[in-house]
Amino acid sequence: MAVIEVEGLVKTYDDRNVVDGVSFEVEQGEIFGIVGPNGAGKTTIVESIEGLRDPDGGSIRVLGLQPITDRLELTQRVGAQLQESRLQDKVRVGEVLDTYSSFYRHPADWRALMERFGLEGRERARYGSLSGGQKQRLAAILALVGSPEVAILDELTTGLDPAARRSTWETIEAIQDSGVTVVLVTHFMDEAERLCDRIMVIVDGRAVTTGTPSELIGKAGFEHTLRFYPSEPVPDEFLTSLSDVTGIRRNGRQVSVSGTGDVVYSVILALAQRQIVAHDLQIEQASLEDAYLALTDGDVD
Amino acid sequence: MLAKLTRMEARLFLREPISLFFGLIFPALFLYGLANLFPGFMDPATELGGARFVDVYAPVAIAFGTAMLGLSALPPTMATYRQFGILRRLRTTPLHPARLLGAQMIVQGSVAVVSAAAVVIVAAVAFDVPFPQSPLWFLLSFLLTAVSMFATGLLIGSVARTTQAAISIGMAAFFPMLFFAGLWIPRAIMSDTLQTISDFTPLGAGTEAMSNAWFGTAPTAMQLAVLIVYSVVIGVITVRVFRWE
Repeated sequence: MAVIEVEGLVKTYDDRNVVDGVSFEVEQGEIFGIVGPNGAGKTTIVESIEGLRDPDGGSIRVLGLQPITDRLELTQRVGAQLQESRLQDKVRVGEVLDTYSSFYRHPADWRALMERFGLEGRERARYGSLSGGQKQRLAAILALVGSPEVAILDELTTGLDPAARRSTWETIEAIQDSGVTVVLVTHFMDEAERLCDRIMVIVDGRAVTTGTPSELIGKAGFEHTLRFYPSEPVPDEFLTSLSDVTGIRRNGRQVSVSGTGDVVYSVILALAQRQIVAHDLQIEQASLEDAYLALTDGDVD
Repeated sequence: MLAKLTRMEARLFLREPISLFFGLIFPALFLYGLANLFPGFMDPATELGGARFVDVYAPVAIAFGTAMLGLSALPPTMATYRQFGILRRLRTTPLHPARLLGAQMIVQGSVAVVSAAAVVIVAAVAFDVPFPQSPLWFLLSFLLTAVSMFATGLLIGSVARTTQAAISIGMAAFFPMLFFAGLWIPRAIMSDTLQTISDFTPLGAGTEAMSNAWFGTAPTAMQLAVLIVYSVVIGVITVRVFRWE
């Protein structure tokens, strides 16, 4: 079931289409990534979903609601973390969370959220005294404090050190596990690859492609290679008949299977069905970053 | 939820020692200081038509307090809230960000009331200035004066893009307004031209209206009209130019 349906979204500033006919759907419970170069229109898209921008064309439905006209109901059910938004330096963490949670019909337990995001014991800390990572985590908590069905996170991990990014990733996965649909804007491909079920690539206000990380790698023409020693001989025809397989090489007993898209999955599944064990399995994959660079440079057919 | 928001804004205000000092305590301190430092402040003065300087300066001190809050504290607070994205952030919650401005008005309005009460009490206790003789007229004049200053502050906070710009524009309004309120030279000593200009400024009209009510005469229709028309016009412009981000 789609919780977000965007159809032909257009947003114009100064006669320039910042968003130029973008359509996509976000399914219930998934982490949907929006990636693209700076200025591609990612933030404008999510801010249109949040009801902060009034689109110049197209339609948006979020949980069946129209963001501008159903704003009040929408804000009850959609939590947002905004890029470049901060709080007053002298406000205490506990005060903000207590106040913001009072805006909602079904507020979450903000103390439990603080614990989940590693901010326990910081209730009396002033916002200005928090580290960059703690501020970002507080922003994430504020997005979740109304127990939303959809959380929209815009560059949540920008400016975090590697350790803080990793722990934030775990938290985003925990958010998904609790049944919340997540829309994640990021320009870190490792992050998108690790977290997102599906990714939309935006370039110059248009959706270049949408798919799972491995589909995007496949669409960019990058191949994956599996190397293994089969426990029993495997005929070439068996492997080439599998979907997404493009080539086979043998080196003694070692078999190398190359392919695109979901080749890894289809080979392993086929071997398992035949009860063949792939010893010493090595998988070489192009990363999403390789694919992203190829896709955003327009090198793709 | 408005109660919690207002409490949070009140706490934030109390954590700003400068606005707290200038908005809350300074007007009374100012009157106290003047009366103690200047010889003859307590004696009837012929140039004031027999009134004492302290009688004339008591309403000026109250006007000073409202201008301090409206023109000096409010604009940078609003500009900061916009610059930080706090207003934008609130638009993604069920609370309309106008409530934040409402909470600010409640907090700053309360401070203005306490600050004015402090002036009235200090004037009465230390300098034998009677309590306002027409209390209802006095209250109305004070409220209209405060509203005119807060409206001006909201307008400045609406057009200023940065906190720094809000402070500068606020100060540019602050000093001329206070001049016409009679802070540097009492209105009674001003030339006719200056007095006429003063009559048409909100702080000039407001100070005169409070002064009249303090000593038992009703404010003139002209004074009340200046305050009301000014606040309405500024309010309409503010609504037109206001931006959440």
